[in-house]
Amino acid sequence: MEEYYLICEDSLEGVFTGIYDAYLKKKPHGQVHLCVGQEDNYRLFAVYEECRPDEGKAVKVARTIGRELGHEAYMSICRALASPQPDKGEAVYKTVVAGLSMKNRKRVMGNLKNPYIHRVFELARFTANEAHYHVEFLRFRELENGILYAPMGPKNNVITFVVPHFADRLPLENFVIHDTLRGIYALHPAGKDWYLVSGAQGEPGGRDGLENHDSLPGAISGKDHREPVPGAPPMPFSEGEEKYSELFTHFFHTIAVKERGNYGLQRNMLPLRYRKYMTEFQEK
Amino acid sequence: MERTDLIPGDARKAGPAAVMQAEGMSLMEKLGILSDAAKYDVSCSSSGVERRGDGTGIGNTSRAGICHSFGADGRCISLLKILFTNECIYDCKYCINRRSNDVPRASFTPDEICELTIQFYRRNYIEGLFLSSGILGSPDYTMELICEAVYKLRTLHRFQGYIHVKAIPGASPELVRRLGLLADRMSVNLELPTAAGLKALAPNKHRKNILTPMRQIQQGITQNKEELTLYRHAPSFVPAGQSTQMIIGATPESDYQIMTVAENLYQKFALKRVYYSAFVSVNEDKDLPALPGGPPLLREHRLYQADWLLRFYGFEAGELLSEDRPNFNVLLDPKADWALRHLDQFPVEINRADYRSILRVPGIGVKSAQRIVRARRSGNLTFDDLKKIGVTLKRALYFITCNGRMMYPTKLEEDYLVRNLTGEKERLPFDRDGMTYRQLSLFDDQQEFAFLQAAGS
Repeated sequence: MEEYYLICEDSLEGVFTGIYDAYLKKKPHGQVHLCVGQEDNYRLFAVYEECRPDEGKAVKVARTIGRELGHEAYMSICRALASPQPDKGEAVYKTVVAGLSMKNRKRVMGNLKNPYIHRVFELARFTANEAHYHVEFLRFRELENGILYAPMGPKNNVITFVVPHFADRLPLENFVIHDTLRGIYALHPAGKDWYLVSGAQGEPGGRDGLENHDSLPGAISGKDHREPVPGAPPMPFSEGEEKYSELFTHFFHTIAVKERGNYGLQRNMLPLRYRKYMTEFQEK
Repeated sequence: MERTDLIPGDARKAGPAAVMQAEGMSLMEKLGILSDAAKYDVSCSSSGVERRGDGTGIGNTSRAGICHSFGADGRCISLLKILFTNECIYDCKYCINRRSNDVPRASFTPDEICELTIQFYRRNYIEGLFLSSGILGSPDYTMELICEAVYKLRTLHRFQGYIHVKAIPGASPELVRRLGLLADRMSVNLELPTAAGLKALAPNKHRKNILTPMRQIQQGITQNKEELTLYRHAPSFVPAGQSTQMIIGATPESDYQIMTVAENLYQKFALKRVYYSAFVSVNEDKDLPALPGGPPLLREHRLYQADWLLRFYGFEAGELLSEDRPNFNVLLDPKADWALRHLDQFPVEINRADYRSILRVPGIGVKSAQRIVRARRSGNLTFDDLKKIGVTLKRALYFITCNGRMMYPTKLEEDYLVRNLTGEKERLPFDRDGMTYRQLSLFDDQQEFAFLQAAGS
């Protein structure tokens, strides 16, 4: 019995293409597996195949998932794929297989007895929680030119789940959210749609959007390749920034009731790893 | 855009000297004083209304609410919680801002409130504004000032984030209506659970003055719902509902009385939330209890647990407590306590029992119960599956069966269960419940130590 391993790219497109190719094999699904990124422990007696991401295939798979398994399942799968865990491809693939074999396909995410579905549920939950943490704890700082800049360092690739919230909330602001670990920037020009720029290849000049991208700091337009430090701004802050961050820090300290002091609870609700990006926890 | 008719001219001229004096103060000092004065208000939710931004201003709201930080006391910081002024003509004994207290006084101007809110909001520090106030001049005058600030924020700055305002007891219905159309949530603080308690500690406040605006807001909300079904774009009135707050432990009411009051508020006034605030002693007064062990946090915790049972678990106050058992068990949470008194209803079979009885199992919450009901459609659940789903079996295992079997051989006996439920990990931290454990000593040094401390050496 031959086992097939499809090695796909670590992206939504890559995994969806992998699922498409896995179905193309017409082998029992138990014999086909997906690995994401680099496989570092090759097995004997297994066939490894590279699988090049293909937009057409990925769109077909995405459409099928959305139509057959429902929007909820589709969102869960997208969230699960934002995780850095290597087994996510396999879990998503087997979830799709299990979902399509169910009588009521829309209920696939409720079937937590299935280990793959449970794994997708777990990964999706972590991503969703982390995205929500960033909606809560992201802090913008105003740069000299009036652009709001927010660095973050999430474990999962949550930026696409976070930006829509802020785009709806701050439609008339120029803002940038910067994933310092992955070098991804989300840019939102005032009154327009937001878009992603990857730090390494980013050249926002080619795209429509920010008219004032000349005024964008070097690190944002991708010309500057210095290693980003958490919280270190690409250009000096505006005058108001210091005033309001001090006001808020002051507010943060006075609003706590001393008699009820409970640092354990604070740590539970606001994990330490988020604090290095947060205004009120910056050491002066 | 600015509407000046909100404040009648004569009231403006009559603005107390304190407002003038406060103008010399920096924004930082004012914010310090007025957030310090507001911190005893516990309500900080930004939930209850989902509204997307319309693209012309700033802000949106999320139904679940969003917390933006957590203070050193572990409480969430969601809204910019400030008083408009900490001047007050009332002399409530529990309140730091009472007239007879000598504390620094300050007042914001509507523009300062708008500036702080907008600037904090765009940096994602806060989810909106929580505006309360001491009573400056008269309830109506104070309400007009609040109204002006909120009106400016909504129209001039096109702020569409969350706004929670306090209705000042005794203000005219017209002002309450006007404010209700601008705010997302309104609240009138009940302060103390019974009229007798209110009379003893807040001689200037009357229960009638508190309940009247509460009723008005409730009727406004019901009426507005009808309007909204007819006209989709009718202005919404207090869309996130109203809440209230009670101080716990300042007056001798029992938990049963408090829960009954809360239940009535939920049923008769359709409140979204009732908040319980453990009494923090900020004033020296002969009518206030001395609390050497700090605020009664455990009692507050039990009340919140019971409050959740009322709102989400289908319990009634009469089931949890009674005249003979007027207070909650210190060692067990209200749900476990209830379960121990109703062992005849257990064990519950996870694969067959209906949602409501699963919800009543200690250790199983709303999320877990929902997941169980969904997951068992596609096959029988075992204890391993429950663990994966996220049920805390630590407590639940004594009360449930999966496919007719319990997880371990256990007994359904009250004593046995109490012993296990209050086991190592479940046990309360020392000192919290007034009990301490220390090694027996020949010398009663503890008393001597207390004596020396009292003597001031």
